[in-house]
Amino acid sequence: MALLEVKNLDVRFAVRGGDLTALRRISFSLDKGERLGLVGESGAGKSVAAFSILNLIAKPGYIAGGQILFEGKDLAAMSERELRKIRGNRIAMIFQDPMMTLNPVLTIGTQMVEAILAHRKISKKEARAIALDRLQKVQIPSPEKRLDQYPHELSGGMRQRVIIAIALLLDPEIIIADEPTTALDVTIQAEIMDLLLNLCEQENVALMLITHDLGVVSQVTQRMLVMYSGRIIEQGPTREIINDARHPYTQGLINALPQMGEPGARLFQIPGSMPSLKNVPSGCPFHPRCNFATDQCKRAMPEYVRSGNVDVACYEVANLIEQEKRMQEAES
Amino acid sequence: MLAFLVQRISQALLVMFVISIIAFAIQDGLGDPLQEMVGMSVSAEEREAIREELGLNDPFLVQYLRFAGNAIQGDLGNSYFYSKPALEVIAEHLPATLELVIGASLIIIFLSVPIGVYAAIRPQAWLSKFFMGVSTVGISIPVFLTAIVLIQLFSIGVTVNWFPADTGWGQWLNDFFTTEGGLPSYGRGDDLVHLFGTWESGLFTSEGLAHLVLPCVSLASIMLPLFIRLIRAEMMEVLQSDYIRYARAKGLSAGRINFLHALKNTMLPVITVGGVQIGIMVAYTILTETVFQWPGLGLMFLEAITRSDIPLIVAYLMVVGLIFVVTNTLVDLIYGLVNPTVKLTGKKA
Amino acid sequence: MTTATVSRWDRFRESFFWYSFKRDKVAIASFLVLLAMVLAAVFAPLLAPADPYDLAQINIMNSELPPVGLDGADPAFPLGTDAQGRDLLSTILYGTRVSLMIGFGAVVLQAALGILFGLLAGYLGGKVDAILMRIADVQLSFSTLMVAIIVGAVFKASFGNLMFGEIAIYMLIFIIGVAEWPQIARTVRASVLAEKKKEYVDAAKVMGFGTPRIMFRHILPNTLSPIFVIATVQIANAIISEAALSFLGLGMPETQPSLGSLIKSGFDYIQSGSWWITLIPGLVLVVLVLVINLLGDWLRDVMNPRLYKG
Repeated sequence: MALLEVKNLDVRFAVRGGDLTALRRISFSLDKGERLGLVGESGAGKSVAAFSILNLIAKPGYIAGGQILFEGKDLAAMSERELRKIRGNRIAMIFQDPMMTLNPVLTIGTQMVEAILAHRKISKKEARAIALDRLQKVQIPSPEKRLDQYPHELSGGMRQRVIIAIALLLDPEIIIADEPTTALDVTIQAEIMDLLLNLCEQENVALMLITHDLGVVSQVTQRMLVMYSGRIIEQGPTREIINDARHPYTQGLINALPQMGEPGARLFQIPGSMPSLKNVPSGCPFHPRCNFATDQCKRAMPEYVRSGNVDVACYEVANLIEQEKRMQEAES
Repeated sequence: MLAFLVQRISQALLVMFVISIIAFAIQDGLGDPLQEMVGMSVSAEEREAIREELGLNDPFLVQYLRFAGNAIQGDLGNSYFYSKPALEVIAEHLPATLELVIGASLIIIFLSVPIGVYAAIRPQAWLSKFFMGVSTVGISIPVFLTAIVLIQLFSIGVTVNWFPADTGWGQWLNDFFTTEGGLPSYGRGDDLVHLFGTWESGLFTSEGLAHLVLPCVSLASIMLPLFIRLIRAEMMEVLQSDYIRYARAKGLSAGRINFLHALKNTMLPVITVGGVQIGIMVAYTILTETVFQWPGLGLMFLEAITRSDIPLIVAYLMVVGLIFVVTNTLVDLIYGLVNPTVKLTGKKA
Repeated sequence: MTTATVSRWDRFRESFFWYSFKRDKVAIASFLVLLAMVLAAVFAPLLAPADPYDLAQINIMNSELPPVGLDGADPAFPLGTDAQGRDLLSTILYGTRVSLMIGFGAVVLQAALGILFGLLAGYLGGKVDAILMRIADVQLSFSTLMVAIIVGAVFKASFGNLMFGEIAIYMLIFIIGVAEWPQIARTVRASVLAEKKKEYVDAAKVMGFGTPRIMFRHILPNTLSPIFVIATVQIANAIISEAALSFLGLGMPETQPSLGSLIKSGFDYIQSGSWWITLIPGLVLVVLVLVINLLGDWLRDVMNPRLYKG
């Protein structure tokens, strides 16, 4: 059994004039110690997906259907009280912007100790010792001093280290990291990412990495999901997808990566932009930007088809597989 | 810290300087001390001699410097009406106003924080909507009108007989809307306790406290809606922030999130605005004290105006100016101490 | 000519402004109540059963009659009479007129001062900005009411009671206008600072327009909606300030009463049971201020301007 299994998750935003669908029938799973990448452009619903796992979607968003099974128990159906025991404790989160994540008026120590005391019945002194240990693990210089400092006294990179330390405080099973390096200086992004990956490996923590950076995903994750307009359009082993992307959108994303192109060549660009939640196109939401779009694509969202170890939602891919099958049958 | 203090104090001194010029200009422009000191019978030459002797013919600057010099030594002249030093008169009236302001502040703090926080946490609850509705109406009611209505209801009393008294429900409704009255609405009462100096306190006797009820509630009523709206608005903004969501992601209890993480950030702007509001409250004491004939500074000031008691008016302006300057400086200081992101240099880090 | 007006009317009817007004019951109700009160005040001389300024119509024998519906009421005086025997309905109509005049007048004055100083401070910046905003800060921390009371007291002392009574309307407009200018000035300044960064201002500069022209012809029109919102709320504040000053005896004399001075004169009789002399004008004042505030709230939501926060 997978550690985390999301089944047919629907998330909607209740706004005036009806609901907007932010996530539609999201299904994926995460095993113990696995590293899963979640990619897509901004607005694809990556962050909503990340936050909905712990039911932390900002109002007016709500989970409209589906299950989020963590060790077999449905987080989507849990009371706030039960959820609280899991948040930060079994499943920890790392937010995008370390400048906004820590409370400006509380010391680092307070914010670390309170997270421990919310889940463990130990003394403040013991909690402080744990906090100190984690700060050492994330290689913060003079960790003792940091405990009594306020967030604004630390640089962005240091703050993100603190946040990684907080994520590790209670030895969680899963860390969900929502663009953990996007807000940082380019020079320290790799450093922080390496730190996070190493620690996850050391502690055998499963990592769900949300990012728009396909390069990072291709290097560090074992499996990946590609999202577009609130749907997963392709998922499977990272290497297989990167080497041989099926979905036209994923292909576009990969072609848009600079290192994949010839030096000096113009970068590839997917024409058009992601539709907003208010006017999602009918059928496959990618069809207005897709070179292979047919009338069929405008009518209904394609079902997933399996190609190798990859699940893809695309009529074009389905047709190709169909053709291949027929050719094989004809040969035999 | 030292730089901050020096900066604040020099600013405060500048403001006091401006106020003293205004006060002096008022004194110079309005009062002719001669009229008060000598009768009509004195001849023009004699008047001129006295003017010269008193230095009233000196240039404006010289006269101002004399005024300022005396003011620094605590001499703001004698009240015409009371025939004693104006500052002494003010010292006698100050405790009454202070007790009024303290009482009203307590009411404001103990009501506005829980109501504002509740309305922010549960914006859709009918109780929140009720509080917000009441505070919108409350902002539109002038303080003296609140005071008058309170007097009518709780001091004079209201007998209601709109409903048929021969039916059970009619009688019940009549009784429900009928108020007893009886709360004092005039002055501070006779049962005051002498604390020290000129401080006669009404805080220690039931009669003194009873006299405080209506004036304090009236004075609080004008600020309460403002504070509730302010706290609610700030709190709602804070609750939207990333660090609150992060606190939830850490699995903290709702109580700790709302009352430590959110409230502490909410109170920072509230402290600044609140400090300014204390100054504004002093202005409203004039109205409140007039309605309740409360023997404090406000009533004294108004009486000084009707009696053209110029030295007392000037002294009042100086003292009120000093109160504003001191409270504003204190508020900035407290803000700096509470908010870790402000290094007490007067600038945001 | 007619086509132009029709198309403008059509454009108005299609605007978001009109759309959101139609949907907001509170705004509609407030507007209708305000309209009724303004009309009643404007046409007070036609509507009022009696002329409260005319001493010949007043009979002291009619003093302190209760409103219709209470024992001892006289149907000639639907809202009863005050302590001098004046018809309360008429005095309230005339009083509302005075209160509204002062409210509008004071806001026009403070808008003029506030726009001028706000534009200067925001556009010129530097020392002018620092000095003007420092003055505004000090005045605001002193509270506008306090400033108004002090200025009122000084005026009253220097002009004397009688003289002050005669020119009280103008005095009050002046006092309240001067006391409240920082509110509008700060709002204008904030919007000017935001507008100043935009390209059209640079374009105007490049074209060689002078500073006054850029300030008034180019920047000002773009800051109007926050001014409009805050001016609405300021009318309510000015009416309350006027009532407060009159209540303190620093405002309108009893012979030419505003709502505030009516409340004040009635307050002396509340202990003898004649509550209506003070509470009915009080209720009118509260309704007037409330509907203006509600309209202000609605305007703020619709226009959503950058209001100065603080």
